[in-house]
Amino acid sequence: MTARALRTAAWKRYNLRIIWLSLLYCAFLLPAVYGFKHHLITGAAAWIAAVLPALPIIGIFGAMGRYLVEEPDEYVRMLTVRQMLWAMGFTLSCATIWGFLDNFGLVGHVDGYWIVVLWYFGQAIGSIANRVTLGDGRC
Amino acid sequence: MIAAKQSDMTPAQRAHVRRILWLLLVYALVLPPLVWLRATQHVGDGILLAMAIAASLPVLGIFASWGRYVSDERDEYHRSLTLGRIAIATNVTMGAAVVWGFLQAFGVMPLIETYWVPFVWVIMQGMFGCVEFFSRKGGQQ
Repeated sequence: MTARALRTAAWKRYNLRIIWLSLLYCAFLLPAVYGFKHHLITGAAAWIAAVLPALPIIGIFGAMGRYLVEEPDEYVRMLTVRQMLWAMGFTLSCATIWGFLDNFGLVGHVDGYWIVVLWYFGQAIGSIANRVTLGDGRC
Repeated sequence: MIAAKQSDMTPAQRAHVRRILWLLLVYALVLPPLVWLRATQHVGDGILLAMAIAASLPVLGIFASWGRYVSDERDEYHRSLTLGRIAIATNVTMGAAVVWGFLQAFGVMPLIETYWVPFVWVIMQGMFGCVEFFSRKGGQQ
């Protein structure tokens, strides 16, 4: 299947949602970082400012779920599901290993959002796995 | 009753449950001595590294078993149920991780060990398993 054929209408809608959510993420993150850096935010406002940048990322996961529901091409959907399974296995495995290394005092604590960074990296691994095992895939 | 429940399972599900039970047994056997060793003895970094990896391996095996189950399952309905459950559990877990991550980064919440992430994932799987079980039971009545 060519790369062009893999870009279905559902995939294009998904990309559009991701762009909007990414813009929203920047809009929430930058003021939050500025506010915390200059000690402008305290109390309940600190909680709200910390949670706001997380919401667009959660929206991205929601967009992925919606893409899976909307994608009519079964083969493309299967490729995406395989990619997500690889990402999930990779992320949870890394989190488990790091957690035990941390528990046994070998490494320090890390911020939880690195899990999501790992997950995106895992998506790339899933794409490579699709290419290697099925000769098809998209990044 | 148990025999009836077993016959409800597909061969891939039975193999998956068997693998998970073995891995949990290994985990239960491996973890307590490692925790005891860490708490009571002074061990070098190399040994600690080996201990951390030894504690992780059965959990990694559980994730690999899920992957193998999805690959082995021939019943499309069961596979789609499992994939849906995995997708929801993953999204909820990632959502929780990112919210906690930002709360940590901005100093609102304390830092925690990352193995709580797979823990949340497993709890989500269990919760959706229960929801499916009770909704099926409700449908049969």
